[in-house]
Amino acid sequence: MNKKISIGGSLACIILALPIFNQIKVVNLVAFFSKIGVNKEMAKNLFTGYHLFNILSFVQNANQGALGIFAMVLFLLAVATLYFNIAFIIRVILKRNGNKGELGLIAAGKLGFFFELITSFATIAFTIFANKKFKITGFVPSVAVYIAIAVSLAGYVYFKVIEKKEREKYKEHGLLKEFKKNWPLFLMLIPTFIYFMINNYLPMFGVYFAFTSFNFRDGLWASPFIGFKNFEFLIKADLFRLTKNTILYNIAFIGIGNAFQILFAILVSRVTLKWFKKTSQTLMFMPYFVSFVILKVIVYNVFEYQYGLINNFVTQSGAEKIDFYNTPSYWPFLITFFYLWKNIGYGMVVYLATIMGIDNEIYEAAKVDGANDFQQIFYITLPHIKPTFIILLLYALGSIMKGQFELFYQLVGNNGVLFNATDIFDTYVYRITTTQPLSIGLGTAAGLYQSIFGFLIIVLVNFLVKRKNPEYALF
Amino acid sequence: MQNKIKQSAANKTLSAFAYVLLTIGSIICVLPFIVIVSGSFTDNATIITKGYSLLPKNFTTAAYQTIFRSPKDIIQAYKMNFYYTGIGTFLGLMMITLTGYVISRKEFKYRNTVSFLIYFTSIFGGGMIPWYLMYANVLNLKGHTLAIWFPALMSPFLVILMRTFIVGAVPDAITESAKIDGAGHFTIFFKIVLPVLKPGLATVGLFLALGYWNDWYRSSMFSTNSSTWQLQFYLYDLLNATTAMKQMASNVSMKTADLPTESVKLAMAVVATGPVLLFYPFVQRYFVSGITVGAVKG
Repeated sequence: MNKKISIGGSLACIILALPIFNQIKVVNLVAFFSKIGVNKEMAKNLFTGYHLFNILSFVQNANQGALGIFAMVLFLLAVATLYFNIAFIIRVILKRNGNKGELGLIAAGKLGFFFELITSFATIAFTIFANKKFKITGFVPSVAVYIAIAVSLAGYVYFKVIEKKEREKYKEHGLLKEFKKNWPLFLMLIPTFIYFMINNYLPMFGVYFAFTSFNFRDGLWASPFIGFKNFEFLIKADLFRLTKNTILYNIAFIGIGNAFQILFAILVSRVTLKWFKKTSQTLMFMPYFVSFVILKVIVYNVFEYQYGLINNFVTQSGAEKIDFYNTPSYWPFLITFFYLWKNIGYGMVVYLATIMGIDNEIYEAAKVDGANDFQQIFYITLPHIKPTFIILLLYALGSIMKGQFELFYQLVGNNGVLFNATDIFDTYVYRITTTQPLSIGLGTAAGLYQSIFGFLIIVLVNFLVKRKNPEYALF
Repeated sequence: MQNKIKQSAANKTLSAFAYVLLTIGSIICVLPFIVIVSGSFTDNATIITKGYSLLPKNFTTAAYQTIFRSPKDIIQAYKMNFYYTGIGTFLGLMMITLTGYVISRKEFKYRNTVSFLIYFTSIFGGGMIPWYLMYANVLNLKGHTLAIWFPALMSPFLVILMRTFIVGAVPDAITESAKIDGAGHFTIFFKIVLPVLKPGLATVGLFLALGYWNDWYRSSMFSTNSSTWQLQFYLYDLLNATTAMKQMASNVSMKTADLPTESVKLAMAVVATGPVLLFYPFVQRYFVSGITVGAVKG
């Protein structure tokens, strides 16, 4: 691989994708603007040329929501192009080769050029799409786009050629050959591919709605693009409360949950009566198997004002009835309690499995040395379940922004009195989805914030863990 | 000697402590079920005047008789639940097993890429609304039963779990020798892997089935017709409807005699959970093995 050529090509890609060239030029200004309904006031904010990083401002200022999602894809592609090319140059300079000669480097370089190529073609497609939509030639791709295609194509072909030589050296092969060799495996993955595409990957593009203000006249795909206004509104209204609730509840669940799960797992392992061991484990695992709707029935019957079990006892003892369903301050405790109720059995099984895996000889040796059961637990059992605890903790930290939606929704429902103490991201978004179609922009924004915040926490936790002890890393 | 006595005293304390705490824990876990079952056998008037209690005060099966006098709705909900659970578990299990097999093949160059792409869905997503719009607006499945069973077919956790089961059940040497004898991937999968994978299939299948049986919220999002409701959503709707109607009735002083009574609601809850708790003792060990395998191997 020739370093100068590849770094030069990659640099060219970066420069061509940077917002110093306008990749899209606006032509036929007057006719174009009058055709798409831009008035003088709006025209002040419009330019005669756009690059991939401000094309969304055209969508916003010219009020052309129909171009929005495509413009967002262009923007993301441009970001990806910059990212992969910069990553490649850094790898070349730092000489991070990987284990099979230059194959890793070549793949990285190929990826950079590939994205530049895709971005350029997408830019052209975007102009064609927009012109077709408006039935007038308003956009044309600029020279920079064609130069980018030439550069990235040349770079891609160059890498393809040297990759072929390199592969022969290391007996590696590419996608096509792998497909020929293992086509049944690809065939087996087709349903899975379709599933994850529909259920997970394609909806990711829907985060675009976080930047729109939905209305029924324009519909989902053409509603106006409003930039970060939804986020601004969220920050003013609910964001802090939702973040606080979601994280605090999860911390309580993780902390108290693990403590109880470890406690009960140790206790079960210490019991000698076989039937007692089995029965208690079975009974404590049982709540995991009932649906949250049943949990709703239970909680309602115990805490209801008029007939509830607790108020029943309270009246019998002559005291004042407690109005649980109108007093928010009880609910953090109730929700945490029922989380524990439902999940202790599950965690207990996990810890019990680890405890059962401890070599019995260690305990025997400790007994000979005169250690009592407390000492055995403290010096043998607890250190042995530490790895399991850390793994569970990391997983839990990774999903600290995700809520126990079903738990919260079934216990609290649409009881607005309790929202301040019980609203988490998932219940907030669910309410919007099912009852307020006009706020879907707001709901998507809340969901996107939750996803990105949660993702950053996972990446950070994983990074820290990997540095300290790679064995525990999540990925 | 002194030491021995101390040792046994501490052990006895701990042992007593263990029995007491576990008994309390077990009681707390079971108590709510008892309240429900006993309430369902209590006369409704008693509930209204005296409230819920742990043992039925006036034993009666009236609530169950009410349910089974006009069982059309609940039978329909039951039928739909069996349909969703059956089709979802069958297809999901097939897809998960195939995927688990593929990403456990060492000769498959992209197995790590595929694993990561599946895992990635559990750490980042577009959120609930884009997901909902995908099914309701893009695929136009609102009101269609497909929207209720399709979204829960697979999960990253179950795929990884299945891979662990396959790696544990089928040694590489066996598949290698089968390949030398000229067996293709489909032959290996159906003739060698599937027959020895019964514990894994049972575990993953039961996790899927439990998820389908207990689910309610896809009905709340995608159903347009009450005849396609999942059982749990039918129950949920019943609970909500009676609460709302009770409020309305008290406002306009309407007759509340025709509403499902408190005991009928509880009887309905018992009927909806019955199968799960009935099977639970027999299948518990599969869940335990699944959780253990999943937790240990990550």
